[in-house]
Amino acid sequence: MKRYIVYLTGVFSLIVISCDESKLDINNENTISTGNFWKTEADIEHGVVAVYNMFYRQGTWTRNIYTQMQGMADDGVSLAGWTELNEYAKFIFTNYNFGEVNTKIWREHYIAVFRANQVLDHIDDIPFSNEQHRQDLIGQVKFLRSFYYFYLTTLWENIPFVLKTSSASDAPEQKTPAEVFAQLEEDLNDAVSKLPATRPESDYGRPTKGAAYALLAKVYMQDHKWQEAVQCLEWLVDGEGKNYYDLTTDYGDNFRNTTENNRESLYEIQFSLINRVGFDQTDNHLDPNAQLGTQIEMNQAPVGIGWNNVEARRWLVDYYKREQTTDGKNDMRLFYSVWYDDAGKDFPERPDTLIYGNNWRADWGKRVFIKKYSTDENPIYYWNDNNFRSLRYADILLLYAEALNELNGPTPKAIECLNRVRQRVKLPAIQNSTYYDGAQIVSDKAAFKEHLKIERALELSLECVRWIDLKRWGLDDQATINELKSRDSDFNNFIIGKSSRMPIPQSEVDNNPNLTQNPNY
Amino acid sequence: MKLRNLRLFCALFCWLVTTQLAVAQVTVSGKVSDQNTGNPLAGATVKELNGQGGATTDDAGAFSLSVSSADATLVVSYMGYQSQEIALSGRKTVDISLVAGDAALDEVVVIGYGTVKKKDLTGAVSVVNTELLRDRNSQDIVGAMQGLASGVKVTSSGLPGQQASIIIRGLGSLTNNAPLFIVDGMIGGEAHLNPADVESIQVLKDASSAAIYGSRAANGVVIITTKSGKEGPMKIQFDGNVTSTNLPRYDLMDAETWKRYDDLAYDEAIRTGVAGVVSRQNHFDANTDWQEEMLRTGVLQNYNLSFSGGSKSGNYFVSFNRMVDDGALYGSGYDRYGFRVNTSGKKGIFSYGENFVYTKTDRKNLNGNPWADFIAISPTIPVKDEANPGGYGYGNPDRANNYGRNLVAMQELRPQDNPENLLKANVFGQLSLFDALHAKLNLAYTNYSGVTNTLRKSGNWTMGQGNDAASLGFENYRSDDILIEQTLNYKKRIGRHDIDAIGGVTYNTFFGQTNWITKLDPLVIGDKYITSLDAATGITTAGGSYQKARILSYLGRVNYAFDDKYLVQATIRRDGTSRLPETTRWGNFASFSAAWRISGEPFFDVPFVNDLKLRASHGTLGNSSIGYWDYQAVINTAPRAVFGSPETKVLGMTQSRLTNTDLVWERKTTTNVGVDAVLLDNRLTFTAEYFHSKSKDLLVYLPILMSSGNEGGNPAVNAGSLANRGFEIETGWKDKIGSEFSYSASLNLSRVRNKVLDLGYGRVEYYEFLSKAAIGQPLGAFYLYRMLGVFQSAQDVENHKNSQGMVIQPDALPGDIKYDDYNNDGIISSEDRQLVGNPWPKFEMGLSLGAAYKGFDIGINGYGRFGQDVWNGAAAAAADFANNQNNFNGIVPWTPENPVNDRPRIVFGDTRNSRGDQSRWLENGSFFRLSQIALGYTVPERLSRGIGLERIRTGVTLQNLVTFTRYTGLDPEFRDSGIFTIGADNTSFPNPRSVMFSLSFTF
Repeated sequence: MKRYIVYLTGVFSLIVISCDESKLDINNENTISTGNFWKTEADIEHGVVAVYNMFYRQGTWTRNIYTQMQGMADDGVSLAGWTELNEYAKFIFTNYNFGEVNTKIWREHYIAVFRANQVLDHIDDIPFSNEQHRQDLIGQVKFLRSFYYFYLTTLWENIPFVLKTSSASDAPEQKTPAEVFAQLEEDLNDAVSKLPATRPESDYGRPTKGAAYALLAKVYMQDHKWQEAVQCLEWLVDGEGKNYYDLTTDYGDNFRNTTENNRESLYEIQFSLINRVGFDQTDNHLDPNAQLGTQIEMNQAPVGIGWNNVEARRWLVDYYKREQTTDGKNDMRLFYSVWYDDAGKDFPERPDTLIYGNNWRADWGKRVFIKKYSTDENPIYYWNDNNFRSLRYADILLLYAEALNELNGPTPKAIECLNRVRQRVKLPAIQNSTYYDGAQIVSDKAAFKEHLKIERALELSLECVRWIDLKRWGLDDQATINELKSRDSDFNNFIIGKSSRMPIPQSEVDNNPNLTQNPNY
Repeated sequence: MKLRNLRLFCALFCWLVTTQLAVAQVTVSGKVSDQNTGNPLAGATVKELNGQGGATTDDAGAFSLSVSSADATLVVSYMGYQSQEIALSGRKTVDISLVAGDAALDEVVVIGYGTVKKKDLTGAVSVVNTELLRDRNSQDIVGAMQGLASGVKVTSSGLPGQQASIIIRGLGSLTNNAPLFIVDGMIGGEAHLNPADVESIQVLKDASSAAIYGSRAANGVVIITTKSGKEGPMKIQFDGNVTSTNLPRYDLMDAETWKRYDDLAYDEAIRTGVAGVVSRQNHFDANTDWQEEMLRTGVLQNYNLSFSGGSKSGNYFVSFNRMVDDGALYGSGYDRYGFRVNTSGKKGIFSYGENFVYTKTDRKNLNGNPWADFIAISPTIPVKDEANPGGYGYGNPDRANNYGRNLVAMQELRPQDNPENLLKANVFGQLSLFDALHAKLNLAYTNYSGVTNTLRKSGNWTMGQGNDAASLGFENYRSDDILIEQTLNYKKRIGRHDIDAIGGVTYNTFFGQTNWITKLDPLVIGDKYITSLDAATGITTAGGSYQKARILSYLGRVNYAFDDKYLVQATIRRDGTSRLPETTRWGNFASFSAAWRISGEPFFDVPFVNDLKLRASHGTLGNSSIGYWDYQAVINTAPRAVFGSPETKVLGMTQSRLTNTDLVWERKTTTNVGVDAVLLDNRLTFTAEYFHSKSKDLLVYLPILMSSGNEGGNPAVNAGSLANRGFEIETGWKDKIGSEFSYSASLNLSRVRNKVLDLGYGRVEYYEFLSKAAIGQPLGAFYLYRMLGVFQSAQDVENHKNSQGMVIQPDALPGDIKYDDYNNDGIISSEDRQLVGNPWPKFEMGLSLGAAYKGFDIGINGYGRFGQDVWNGAAAAAADFANNQNNFNGIVPWTPENPVNDRPRIVFGDTRNSRGDQSRWLENGSFFRLSQIALGYTVPERLSRGIGLERIRTGVTLQNLVTFTRYTGLDPEFRDSGIFTIGADNTSFPNPRSVMFSLSFTF
């Protein structure tokens, strides 16, 4: 009897040990839990860096957005071997869930927004040793969130608008571009007030007051708020900003990796080859060694060299060659923007120009390839570190001219801004143009605007600006579309009332009761 | 367990101990023979009822056995004969004659922490006939179960070393539908189990049967018991088999044919003004059959050697297994060594058992999905091309503008192998008191370790690939799993009352860890890479993480039978899991079942019915098989950004993945009614079941909106509710004609229907590419654009109008697909998608036929699914030459000369006709397949004994050689790509066709 009790007690004692129910409390200590984060100034700083990190993604600024923004605009075309990719850049949207372009760009922009919202929702609850630093960080994050939203609304227009840290069950409301712009204007005005006018070299890449003004001006322009835009641009051109910004002497300095963060640059995305890792190592959000470079070269390099996902339209070459410089040469902007068959002839002083170490190939025929941002003399590498100049002073000067013209016609200030851009590349003042009717341009509002459309195309070609411009000038009348067709046959597929905005990824529309697909998709 | 409970247990024992004390030992002997012929039966089992151990009769049919008392009852059983129970009533010698017939009724079924006679089952349990496993060449126990039990859907994958998937009674859950496997009382381990070691398999299908496993059993339980030694001299068995395997091939175009079609596609592109297309391709000159390059006859060799035997006080079973699978795909392979020792022993009131198994495997991993890549790459591309980095051929904008991947290059340039070690051991000790009370302690330990070695040589396999640095990758994974189970079982027959009660506690703790390293630039000697990490000279990156989980459970079950006629069972289980938040981690799950043996009633007197039983069960099970920490959100420390001049890299941190912190147990309630009948002198068996189950608070990683900014996996959520209902019928016939010919046939049929009752996050619909789930509808219904035909002329385009007269597809050209304007708004838009197909079979069927004459036997197994729609992903991928893919021989595209109405024109650079989300790719997926035809011959015993062997058997098995289907894809039986798209055959791996030769000796 006693023996049995001993046996059984022995056997059951093991159970008594394992029945401690608190053993089920296991914390995930693989990294910090969210409950222990967002407590210190350093946490916030890390949170802010994570927003910048979203620049280095395939759907943002390492590759796909270039193809899409340039391909839809009349300055570029995609003849990519990947048919779906190239159709997307030609207004042929078959699969609205097309992963490489439509959902990737969408998703990665919203990830950036989510990261920004986390910072903004926590930053006010944390003690900062230096209040100015807090204000600076708020300014940076508001700038970045506005930056991402600006591109979202440029591409899709009617987007879900999220301004608070997301939760899984959210079904955000859809906003019109006007509603989105109103919020961006508020946020960017706040950023303007919080950001410093200049930064030390070690902080290049973080926006300044000037960057915020520039982006704000762009938003106002898209919103057709000319007066408000002028106020921002005035600060940059005639106000304090003129102390910090100017056109570079050499137009080519805007696209070289040796002349980054120069005076002409208001905001540029910092690319680097610091993480030199395999080509497979991209877009993995859990990889601390993921690439910090850009694939812009690979994306646009000529067929047979890179992917050739996007290239230039031939009309650019013809337009550049319409005017001669004051010393009787061709416009250097042509030389720096594209590669084409006659470059050697047109720029005899640069006869040995190589295309990633290659000479022009006869079988490329009349095709025109994008040269901006290339490191042309070297063989192509999968990644490069050339910073993308997202907001450039020449753009600002031309916007200023445009806004002034919208308000009061071609004022002397407007003409001066236009001529500063022209004269940097040794073109005569517009009044003395050998090709254009300068007299009419400087006296007639409509003519001035029409000329700005050309000048912007040539100054800012293939820099992801053109699609934004076309939308600002309107894509809802047949005459405009016909003119675009004459330059870019992709517009044969353009349907008014439909194609000026992309289809929202179908899975988003299907599963968000507050979201409607864009018209006619 | 609290101290008070312990006292209670002790008090219980004291009572039991005082009521029964005497334990005496008596030896009985006797002889077992066939009642008809009087011939002695060698190898019959003689056991004491409710006792431990047993004896086997010798060649003369004689046995000798120790029993607990002179009044004990003996149970005598022999394969092919009806078992008998004989009360000794004081006798020391008994001669027993057995009647030939089916033993199914006395078959003992393992039901989790205990056994029950099959005839006394109150729940839904299928017993897999493990005899049939012998002739199956699947090296994976799950794959081998295909078609052998009703309501069990097994889908094998065809890739060496990859396990088949198994679903019991349809989908009950949205995350994990795999049943729980219990191998010798240990959780899991089926993945590396050697089918030759398996003694029995039972499938517990309804809640009441599975309830004892509680939270882990919502998808059913498969209980596998491995072999043990039998009392008697040592038996040595050798089995060897060699299987030749082939994979089915697409009927793809050769270069000659393909160029002809491709030129047409370019001509069409030029004619219709596709941008950038000005001339036909300047084709490569090669004619590569990529399938020929990658596919070969696989040879699988499998050898088993086992030693078994035992005495009254213990028995043993030791086996060795060696398997070499030179896969049927270039670059794939699987290699296994297995070693098992099962022993058990008994002394007095104490008994023990132990299972130890060690498995060492090595798998060569395949890169890419050949079934997608075969289609994606042009046949004109050469395998080798010295002009490319690495020396392999691939697309070129001028010669083959195609992003297809060179499969040979992928295997050569990125070899990856994956050695694994698995050690599983369990040991239990049991104290048995008064033949009624058994206290058992079971300890099980599983240790897994695996390594993945990757060598990335420099070189490319596709157009536009970056010139990557060579690298070495090393990833290590290890885990420990410890299970401690304590049970107390009371089992006693008192008069006409049969009581079997069990209570216990189980505790399971798991720890796993991964570490990885990648180093760039390994050193090279000539063209040979050195694969030691020390020899890699470039940048090193590394990482790692761990996982931890625990489950603590209390369980109890009572089975009670009165007079063998009225049977009831009640089960309760309380589970706590670390995977759910503290406030909701405990769940209680109960179930109840009852059965009535009508045939036991005095009024029941139907001579041809041997046994008839009605049963019903109802119960709830839980599921928490989600990630380790799905309710805890963490910070991602990976983001980096660059600032400044000079560039500095700065650390970022953020939350990437959203979580739901309010997770609760998923619950599944099942009601089951069934009838079991044995008829016509035990020759016909029949079982029918009807069940209805409802799952609520389904745990699922339901995709959330991209606008949430979530990344790194969708958060787990308790999303909605799902109902499954269906029936299963299993029927079998077994008979002998004369003494030499026996035959059997069995058929199982099942039908499952599911319906979404509720969806998560308050949604009423959930969409994925190809499918839509809506409340009241089945999961995964195809939601696509409907193809009406092909426009035959410009006039035809003009005539395709909506009711207001708007031309619906004004830009279409003759030869383009005409889509249905479902919402009648005059344009084709996303609003025109409609429900066009159901991926769920109307019914599934398994069939097996067997016959034996003298030494010959034949077994035929077939199974089929009927009435389901399948989306043919291979056909959609081949599309219409838009990306210079390959295509199938015999396609007839639309041309003005040949105006077909089912296939559009082919054109390069234009995908409008080949979109995946259209009804064009749906097909009837019904099939019936003779999965197995096995022939065997056993050499007559007198001959084999002549050369000193007890038994010699040889056989040949044909697998998957005959399939009846109209599906045009490679294989109508495929692994789906997710529960929301269950009917999508996304270029899945086809099942291999094979011929196996086997030989086995016993001596």
